[in-house]
Amino acid sequence: MRDLTRKLFNPTGSEAIEREVEEELRFHLELLTEQHLQHANTLAEARASALGRFGDVEQVKDECVEISKRKRPLTRALKSFLILTFLAGIFVRIFATELHVDRFGQMLIAVGVMGRLFLYVRGLKPAGFRPKSDTSSPLMLNGTAKTPASLFDADNF
Amino acid sequence: MANDRTDLMQGTLELLILKTLSHDSMHGYGIAQRIHQSVDDLLKIEDGSLYPALYRMEERGWLASEWGVSENNRRAKFYKLTRAGRKHLDAERANWDRISRAVTKILQTA
Repeated sequence: MRDLTRKLFNPTGSEAIEREVEEELRFHLELLTEQHLQHANTLAEARASALGRFGDVEQVKDECVEISKRKRPLTRALKSFLILTFLAGIFVRIFATELHVDRFGQMLIAVGVMGRLFLYVRGLKPAGFRPKSDTSSPLMLNGTAKTPASLFDADNF
Repeated sequence: MANDRTDLMQGTLELLILKTLSHDSMHGYGIAQRIHQSVDDLLKIEDGSLYPALYRMEERGWLASEWGVSENNRRAKFYKLTRAGRKHLDAERANWDRISRAVTKILQTA
């Protein structure tokens, strides 16, 4: 519940942005590893070569996330508006009971929460479809797809 | 001994990306591959350095991106040149030609 609350009120939607950047970089690293696998003796060797050619993955990811956050001012404004709507609803419910505008307060709360939920769910898959399952990638040779978090750990990659 | 590979000058990477995307939309890996093939390993370019450049160029309105499916059926983010990007490419290309001619002239006469 606390996690959900944190995500709802996350003003920049940075988790969705991070996921998107990670997915893009993972795609690159997977293809680069496949390419290096043709000349390497082992998968570990290919991964190391791929990482060598790519550079500092964490730094690249951080820079991309930072730039992405900057270039979405409308989304940020909308999220702030929804949070303010929600807070206004709470305010109305608590302090304006004598004015009989309970329903208005409920409406504001509902709009704030539903709008924020919609933006969060939309941010989970920006392009609106799931990737096809793919077992040809060398990163999945043991049958377990790596999570984005472990992808950028040079020891695990 | 002179290094036979040259570090990329700031701003040049953007020009290379704009030129690479001038015909087709491509994903980051494709752009990197095309650039590596074109420069024939004469320039030292880390693949990762492309991404902050791509994101900055998109922020400036020179590129647009959308998620699609790659040639091997994986989800990938494709970049394409916008009209502003094409204009910027033309301007930067002319600028590069001018600088290149000027530097060559100085090196030949000095």
